[in-house]
Amino acid sequence: MHGADQPLEPDPVIEAYKRDVDRTLLRENLRRSVEERIEALMQLQAFADELRRAGQRLRA
Amino acid sequence: MTDFKAAVRALADVGVEFILVGGVAATVHGSARLTGDIDVVYRRSNENIHRLVTALSVHHPYLRGAPPGLPFRWDEATIQRGLNFTLTTDIGDFDVLGEIVSGGSYETLLPNTVTISLYGVECRCVTLDTLIRVKRAAGRPKDLEAVAELEALLEERRRLEGR
Repeated sequence: MHGADQPLEPDPVIEAYKRDVDRTLLRENLRRSVEERIEALMQLQAFADELRRAGQRLRA
Repeated sequence: MTDFKAAVRALADVGVEFILVGGVAATVHGSARLTGDIDVVYRRSNENIHRLVTALSVHHPYLRGAPPGLPFRWDEATIQRGLNFTLTTDIGDFDVLGEIVSGGSYETLLPNTVTISLYGVECRCVTLDTLIRVKRAAGRPKDLEAVAELEALLEERRRLEGR
């Protein structure tokens, strides 16, 4: 891999997006174990699926 | 919904050499973003391709988004002829990648990985720095927000480590 040891130049678009990142969520995740992070992802997926199904029922 | 536990176990149980990349790797490092599939880079040796076929065959892999009924066979010849496969399976969506942009092959990525313990198995995950480089290099507009979060994570981690 090229440039793996070199620091990345700040990208103005990424820096702009960074201002809107909710760091409280990140700090909470960093306190969790890796397995807890994956479990939280699966719960979020299940919730997203449920919302999708609710939307479909509404349109039916 | 992808069963990440079953996915990781399916690969590890038969000894597939793989590296977690993409959204799940971001989750491993603390990302709060939703991802629907599991992306892995696999070693393209004959033995490993055989193991990969064995691991996923029981979960009925099929090309994601392709019309039903195509003569797709999940076997060693198919993997040897191709490189990257976006699959749907009984346990969720799998992106099985021989190479990734700016990250290269399994062998190229390997020095830029960490070993993690997940559901009782040890597996390799790309480092946060490398994930950022790979996503930046991909240059897709949808990745820019994800990269912003990953860079914020890197800053938070360094803050915690007192650097």
